[in-house]
Amino acid sequence: MKRLLRQLRSYWEQFLTILCHELRIIFTDAGVMLILLFALLIYSTIYACAYAPEVVRRVPIGVIDQSHTATSRRLIAQLDASANLAIAYEPSDMEEAKRLFYARRIYGVVYIPADYEASLYAGEQATLALYADASYMLIYRQIFEGVATTVSQTGGEISLLRALDAGLDTPLPAPIIYQNHTLFNPYLGYATFLMPAVILTVIQQTLLIGVGMIGGTWREERLYRVLRPKTRRRISTLPLVVGRGVAYLLLYALTGGIALAILYPLFGYPMKGALGAVVCMVGLYTVACIALALALSTLFCRREESLLLLLWTSIPILLLSGVSFPKEGMPDWLYRAGLLLPSSHGIEGFVRIQTMGASLSEVFSEVKALLLLTLLYGGLACLSTHRIIRKEAS
Amino acid sequence: MASLRDSWAVTQREVERWRRSPIYLVLMLLLPLLSFAFFATLFHKGVAEGLPIAVVDEDHTSLSRSLVEMLSATPLAEVVYEPTSVMEAKRLMREGQIMAFVVVPDQFEAAIFANRQTAIHNFISGSNLSINGLLAKDIQVAAMTFIAGVEFQRLTQEGLPEQMALAEVMPIRLDTHTLFNPYLNYGYYLSPSFMPMMLLIFVVLATIFSIGVELKEGSAREWLTTARGNIEVALAGKLLPQTLLFSLVALVMLAVISGVVATPFQGSVGLIIVATLLLVASYQAIAIVIIALVANLRLSLSLGGGYSVLAFTFSGATFPVMAMWKPLQWLSRLFPFTYYTEISIDQLLRGTPALYSLPYLAAMALFLLLPLLALRRLKRVCNQPKFWGKS
Repeated sequence: MKRLLRQLRSYWEQFLTILCHELRIIFTDAGVMLILLFALLIYSTIYACAYAPEVVRRVPIGVIDQSHTATSRRLIAQLDASANLAIAYEPSDMEEAKRLFYARRIYGVVYIPADYEASLYAGEQATLALYADASYMLIYRQIFEGVATTVSQTGGEISLLRALDAGLDTPLPAPIIYQNHTLFNPYLGYATFLMPAVILTVIQQTLLIGVGMIGGTWREERLYRVLRPKTRRRISTLPLVVGRGVAYLLLYALTGGIALAILYPLFGYPMKGALGAVVCMVGLYTVACIALALALSTLFCRREESLLLLLWTSIPILLLSGVSFPKEGMPDWLYRAGLLLPSSHGIEGFVRIQTMGASLSEVFSEVKALLLLTLLYGGLACLSTHRIIRKEAS
Repeated sequence: MASLRDSWAVTQREVERWRRSPIYLVLMLLLPLLSFAFFATLFHKGVAEGLPIAVVDEDHTSLSRSLVEMLSATPLAEVVYEPTSVMEAKRLMREGQIMAFVVVPDQFEAAIFANRQTAIHNFISGSNLSINGLLAKDIQVAAMTFIAGVEFQRLTQEGLPEQMALAEVMPIRLDTHTLFNPYLNYGYYLSPSFMPMMLLIFVVLATIFSIGVELKEGSAREWLTTARGNIEVALAGKLLPQTLLFSLVALVMLAVISGVVATPFQGSVGLIIVATLLLVASYQAIAIVIIALVANLRLSLSLGGGYSVLAFTFSGATFPVMAMWKPLQWLSRLFPFTYYTEISIDQLLRGTPALYSLPYLAAMALFLLLPLLALRRLKRVCNQPKFWGKS
């Protein structure tokens, strides 16, 4: 019993020593501070500002009007009135339109044929052609949306006019209306869509790289020996792992808190989740990332290794989460491999909580996965740290 | 001539360093190739299919069932649930099981037969932009086809000739020609951006590392001595093997983009190659300036790495630069990758005449002048012991 108490007391003292020392390492190293302290806030702000306009409006397009009638001019005016479009040029033919296109003056062309008005007056179907550039996806979507909506409205007006013309004694077949409702991000804002994933990815990546840097420092400065408590042969594994982990948790509680409590509402991102659910999800996610980071950090012998070897993984990891590229579009095995990373679960769960208002029980599968990963990587971190301690002590 | 000999001596010394320390080849060869393999694999399918949706059928008639079948038949969507209520459907969405649900209201068939107005509602999640556009369009096409079919049938049954019925149902037909990415294929569209992005990250890190590590290990003076104190020669000799290796890797990258991912190369292949080589060189130039000014290996790596990761955002490959705030549009011009993206879209996807891409090439070439500003500082940093040993 007494031995157990002595052991626990030693653990506690070691834990405190490690915690304080780790914080000191962080705050006396500019390179590490940049990554662990400032990167999250700097990147979140920069990305938020870059995507702040959220939607692309007034895409410049060209209209080739071969009809030159009041009806076609009316259509052009309606197209220009669309929020998504801006009629920038009226080229006289396709050749001129192509030149404007290559010079990036326009991103699409609407072609009104010569018989446009005539067809409509004759009660026939009129045809319009739209040439839209899909090499920029978002621009393409706005052009398509803007033109299709305008054409559909115009078509509706024409149907009504024809019905009035026909004198309404024949009962008009009642239309079946199709209505599309976009939930959770009704204006399809780009920042609203991507920022939750960006913030969480930055949390994971900065932890992996920053903790890895410190891991390299531990090896370079032989801290496994230096921080050995006087009364013991070697430093103990558990207080070391937990002490380092708590140091990072405190740090990210601060920076993550700023990002989510200040930045989020500042840029107007949806915050539909209950506070408890958000804190739970992000907190658990951070712990899982710290566990992975601690496990990986034992592999690095030099300070700069983690940055050199891990920086490139940031974009692949963001993609693997299935947010910016759907998981149904990637090979199944690759997506499953990505499930080994906290980011794939954390991002999914966080987006559903904040953007959709899901409750913790509705993201339970993600919570479960994060818990398992924490145990897995925490265990690996302890094993790997123990191995190094033994090696350094001999 | 002497400087050529010295330069060669520096190059030999550099290659010897590569041999001793595996991190160089890992950074310049292994990891870039791995990253290309990742993207080639990721975009292998190119198009998504089988996106899970649900249908809330409150009507339960043969007409509503035929709508459900039409929705199932779309290439993109797959009806995986038929919940009994809208509440249940919303819960499924919050659980991440479905991305959209279509509601067929009660008395749907009856309303159509009785000539009363009725509606089909689609509720789609806006939280995932990449899926939303295509899925919404898919469902809309299925629903509109269904509606047009029903109305067409009603009109022809009332005795209207087919042509007139068609004109009634859809007075204006929009013929859409999707240019340059006709299958709306993610792979075509994204890999010419992501892979060079990876390449430039490694270029920046490797360049900063190869110079900065000499400072950290205190071997910088020896490096300069090999070039007999001439910083231009020292730099040229050190970076030449890197540039060559990265150029090779860049060519492999282009081969992967065109061969494995099968992105079309509509324009000038020569121009793309030149642009890619310029990409490598311009980021080396930027890296030289960073390490020369900061003179601290780890801080330079953090800054250089941080700068390179931002390149993708400001390139406009996803969110267009023209939609950003004006100051940020100016900021985007400080990244060589922004110009590269324009050239790559021009020459790979669009087949633009080379003339239009030349200004972007010139802009990239301007970055090559940057190191000239930092040479004196670099020489000083290499010679003064106070800059050594710091990491």
